[in-house]
Amino acid sequence: MRRAVAPLLIVTVALVLADSAVVTLALPDILVHLDASVGQVAWVLIAYNLVLGLAAVPAAMGFSRAQPRLFSALGIAVFAGSSAVCAVAGSIDVLIAARCFQAVGGALALIGCLELLVAAYGERRGVASWITAGVVGTAVGPVAGGLLTQAISWQAIFVVQVPVAVLAVPAALAVRAAPVVVADRHRPSVRANVTLALMSAALTAALFLLVLLLVQGWGRSPATAAVTVSVVPLAAIAARPLARLLRPPPEVEVAVGCFLVAGGLVGLAIPPSASLAWTIAPQALVGLGLGLTVDQLTTRAMEMRLPRAQHAGWTIGARHIGVVVGLAILTPVFTADLRDAQVPAQQAITSLVLDAPLPPQDKIAVAEALGGELSAQAQQVPDLHRAFAKLDLDPAERPAAARLERDLTAQVERAATRAFRDSFLIGAGLALLALMTLIPLGRRRSR
Amino acid sequence: MTGLHRWVGLPVAAVVLVCGVVGVQLAHGGGEYEPLRPADPCSARAVTSQAEGIDGLTERLVLLGIDGAACRLGVSREAFTLELAQTDSPSDAQIDALRGGLKSAVTRMKADGTLPPASALVDESLDSTDLNDLLKSLIRALPDSAIDAALKTDDVLVRAIDDLDLRTVLANLDDQDALEQQIEVAVTGAVKASLEARIRGLV
Repeated sequence: MRRAVAPLLIVTVALVLADSAVVTLALPDILVHLDASVGQVAWVLIAYNLVLGLAAVPAAMGFSRAQPRLFSALGIAVFAGSSAVCAVAGSIDVLIAARCFQAVGGALALIGCLELLVAAYGERRGVASWITAGVVGTAVGPVAGGLLTQAISWQAIFVVQVPVAVLAVPAALAVRAAPVVVADRHRPSVRANVTLALMSAALTAALFLLVLLLVQGWGRSPATAAVTVSVVPLAAIAARPLARLLRPPPEVEVAVGCFLVAGGLVGLAIPPSASLAWTIAPQALVGLGLGLTVDQLTTRAMEMRLPRAQHAGWTIGARHIGVVVGLAILTPVFTADLRDAQVPAQQAITSLVLDAPLPPQDKIAVAEALGGELSAQAQQVPDLHRAFAKLDLDPAERPAAARLERDLTAQVERAATRAFRDSFLIGAGLALLALMTLIPLGRRRSR
Repeated sequence: MTGLHRWVGLPVAAVVLVCGVVGVQLAHGGGEYEPLRPADPCSARAVTSQAEGIDGLTERLVLLGIDGAACRLGVSREAFTLELAQTDSPSDAQIDALRGGLKSAVTRMKADGTLPPASALVDESLDSTDLNDLLKSLIRALPDSAIDAALKTDDVLVRAIDDLDLRTVLANLDDQDALEQQIEVAVTGAVKASLEARIRGLV
């Protein structure tokens, strides 16, 4: 059991941070299953990040007056219980409320696990494993959530967390760590935390928007989207060996990471087609940027600063408030752009139907079926296959109708891709803004 | 590794990677992956039809007519088509533009020689009329030159377009029988009026 203690705590840290984006690919299923609106379902994501971001620093302040193992065990238990409630939630309100409690438990668990890992591994290795677990959890969250949603159900995302967290409770209690009583010696690292917040907002654009584009815009399954976005964590893992090879100074590493994320987001904004292959290289850039920045910034924000838990709380707060800011900026932009994309998409569809190599009466039938489906699916990127499936066409006309369906679907994909462009570019702007925050820091140090 | 390499190695690699990825995306049409843009309805467009005879002629006329109407209204033909599809009561301006567009289409088809002579449409027209069989046989026995001399396709079409209640036509688009009935009445009336005008001209 003793050998499993630290790994269980590391997995718990990864789980809590993975939960930040784990439900992204499950949102369409949750929307349907709990009969929720798009606005409500977005709060499943926002509520967790907002509460985690706001609770992290107060939790860290409270930590100094508590027994670390009891504090951690309580947090992990609340996280596990709330995860179980999320899994059985029968309404969107219950799910959102449970996500808030899950975030409170998560905040306590993250702060507590940091000190327990330091007690188990020592200062350097303990902090490093805590930071790495966070980076991996953040990057892997959407992938894991997508695979579980496709393979089992959206509830499975929360069910699988319960046994791990339940096992982590005795693991936390097993660590002998004395209460950490340290006076507030250092101010929070504003620059590192602001950069971290901006990068989190930019990374939200990459992960959140990309899965939405793949599933909603290009009609891919959650599993396909999950496998596709796994490029990001893989590239994030590859970033460390690259950094070790070139051994850049930390500030250069962070600046390059911001630049890579911005470049990757520009690449995602301008794919030449709706082929998944065109997302691979931009995602690799984002992943490399993620791997180079988040752990460096977290380290910088915590390094040589006491009390450690409180500065860890600031980094958690910065990251998750960054996610919320990213969602707050990007959600209205891309929903408005998706709404605006309806007109050019409808016009492109009309153009192709008017010029289709079909007899006039078949064109009218196609137009009527499409009109019905477009009205029925007004709030989402439409699935045009349903319209064609309803048609009763002469067998001789079916190949032309099938070609028309392919061409129309391609137009819908084009319109959806175009609708996401500005949001990806705003994400790139956030990453460049993060890069800008580093410039004065570099100048001051060089003097 | 020298100090300089440590400072520039990773940035140079990053610039190369980003420029490479974005450059390849742009070279393959990234940034231009957008929905089809509507063509200028005022520019001449080649239209074709899978149908033959009167159906084919009607489809080509309608396609050109929508272009003409959209050009008159200063919108794309796609926007005009969607406006008509999404309203139960088209405005007078839309109906006037559509009628004008259809008449312009007749003129254009006559000018480019794609309007068939009346004799080419007689057999098909007679099949769908309720004239008695003896009269149909008599008309079919007429030489094409006589029919073409008596009836000009463009004149008949323009008269039919003037007579058509376009609001009812648009409302009947999903009712093939009602649509055919309405067009038949308009074309028959136009044929009669065209013949009367020709006879009056001869007298």
